[in-house]
Amino acid sequence: MTIRNTLRDHGQRYRPRMACLKKAEKVLLEMQDPKTGVKSQPQRLVITTIPHAITGKEEARNFGSMLVALGYIYPLQDHKRLVIKPDASLYRFQTPYFWPTQQWPVEDTDYAIYLAKRNIRKKGILELHEQEQYNRLHKWMNHKWDFIVMQAKEQYRAAKERKKPDRVVFDCQERAYWVVHRPPMIFTQQSIMRPRVKSSVSIGALVKYCATYNSHDPFLSKCLPSNPWLTDDITYWTLNMPNVEIPTKMRVERWTFSFGELLSDPRGRDDFRLFLKKEFSGENLAFWEGCEDLKWGTAATMREKAEQIYKAFLARGAPRWINIDGKTMEVTVSGLKHPHRYVLDAAQTHIYMLMKKDSYGRYMKSPVFKDTMKKAICPEEHKFSDSQLEQNAKNRRPSLSPIILRQQEQEQRAKMAASAPVDITQVMSKLSKQGKEVPPRPPPKK
Amino acid sequence: MPLVNNKVGDDCTVGTDKALADGKALVDSLIKVVACYRHLASCVGGCTDSLQLRDELRQTREKAQKLSVSICQHLTSHLRDKSLPEEQRKEMELLWVAFSSSLELLHIDMCKVFNMGDIFSPANTAALVQTGLQGGGSEVAARALSLPDLNQAQTPTPADCLESQERNTMEKEISQIDHMIDDMEMKVNVLRWMVEPHGPQYADPLSSTDSASLALLSVDEEQPGHQPLCQRSHIFVLLLLFAVVLLAATLSVCVVFFS
Repeated sequence: MTIRNTLRDHGQRYRPRMACLKKAEKVLLEMQDPKTGVKSQPQRLVITTIPHAITGKEEARNFGSMLVALGYIYPLQDHKRLVIKPDASLYRFQTPYFWPTQQWPVEDTDYAIYLAKRNIRKKGILELHEQEQYNRLHKWMNHKWDFIVMQAKEQYRAAKERKKPDRVVFDCQERAYWVVHRPPMIFTQQSIMRPRVKSSVSIGALVKYCATYNSHDPFLSKCLPSNPWLTDDITYWTLNMPNVEIPTKMRVERWTFSFGELLSDPRGRDDFRLFLKKEFSGENLAFWEGCEDLKWGTAATMREKAEQIYKAFLARGAPRWINIDGKTMEVTVSGLKHPHRYVLDAAQTHIYMLMKKDSYGRYMKSPVFKDTMKKAICPEEHKFSDSQLEQNAKNRRPSLSPIILRQQEQEQRAKMAASAPVDITQVMSKLSKQGKEVPPRPPPKK
Repeated sequence: MPLVNNKVGDDCTVGTDKALADGKALVDSLIKVVACYRHLASCVGGCTDSLQLRDELRQTREKAQKLSVSICQHLTSHLRDKSLPEEQRKEMELLWVAFSSSLELLHIDMCKVFNMGDIFSPANTAALVQTGLQGGGSEVAARALSLPDLNQAQTPTPADCLESQERNTMEKEISQIDHMIDDMEMKVNVLRWMVEPHGPQYADPLSSTDSASLALLSVDEEQPGHQPLCQRSHIFVLLLLFAVVLLAATLSVCVVFFS
């Protein structure tokens, strides 16, 4: 029953929305019946009355709102809000010409003509989103613009031939049609006001990044001892394993680039952890790692993990209490009532920034780091002859299975958890329990 | 001899100037007819739908069809003429773009009317949607057909047998326009992105005597909550003001007379 484009509908008639529209149209036609349909009253404007206005009734409100949202009925007051209000506000049926169908694509040309007409009527004062759309359409349909302006003028003049009430009704119908099909978008305004970075700044950052990492890229510059992809010798990978005892010099140098680099390298994180242990502020890193675990872990274990973290780090009197400001603590604790993956994000960021601004700097100057740097090796470059290269190619072997690697990782983590790291609170409580005298107060934490 | 040459040159440009003016007039009137057709089409299915409306639609459509055919021939022949001077060609291309856009609008409106005609029959008035319209489209149709009074063109319309004939004709005409659109694209290659419009970005706000309907709609738009009261109080204030002005006028007249 719905209006169909028999010639070029591109298969639209099979979309599920059509079934919904068909049902809505059926009901709408039944509403027109003078005996069993909806009662209507005349609408009084300043000097004229226009018939066929209806009001919303309580029980039909939901269905009515749906009809309004689809565009079959339009409100006469407050035309931008497409709902049925439970008061005496009036609505009117939309003419079938403007009924929503999916097989007539809502043409931009029509919208441009409508905006041009509106501009004529309102003597050049369009609403902000209409103005934006008008300018955008002017840019994209520039070649048709003469036609659009002329057609708008002709439609305007043709409308003047009609009687005044009919003119008002037609204008309302058209306006309602476009409220449904071109709703005012606030998003474009917000995107205009979004802060933008100067390209000189962003390009400068890109250049700096390239300059810093150029010598560390194994494909752009020499890789010590040799690039395994080129020489089939895996010394490079063995030397740079995640849990190697002695790191290479290049690797240690990368830790100095940024805190993120240090944390993302497992060997670097280990080193940092050692340093923090000596400073008795290991709980920060442990908390950060716990948050990462929560974010990337399985959904089934999430609740448990969140609780454990709370008990260990956030609760009052927790064994490894972390120092975050009151507001963040409040937000986190209230979020933990309904834990989700990112519930500890705020606290994690706070601790990350704390470590970055404070501990990282001291780590760089610490004996731990200096020691590591001294011990770091700088392997000799390989110089393979052709026959040796062939030999290497023949001796290629597959690496350790990732399953085994993961098992090893988990074992190590378990070992670390078992040998609970020592923090100042634990030391104090243990000593006081044993009745020994308190050791001389260690240097203040932060 | 130079005089003779000039004369030949003038004739040429005069000839194409006239062709351009003719083309422009034709396209302008097509745009007018398409605008009127849209107004009439918006009444189909509403409470003012009637046999008369359908008849007006038919007449408007026939006029649009005639205009389209003649414009198509006119523009195609001129644009395929390789000796057309550059400026004239640009103008012709502008007309071409306007013509093809009008044709597309007309095509869509015709398809909509064709399908709505299926659903809403003017005979069954109970099923028509109560849209709030009161008048018909006679004035609009008169404007489209450029007639001072539509009664001049009225032909008596017997209902049913003509309706099915009408539908067949309409179907044929829709496909004819479809073919015209396709043919046009094949025969004449107009690069739309090269076409530059003349006119302003904004249509001139017509400073017409339209303030009354403006007032009607602005009341509608800007005061969502308390319309009935405002309207009543508006009328009251206006009447009061009017009375005061009248009184002042009579008093001043009296003063003039008796002094």
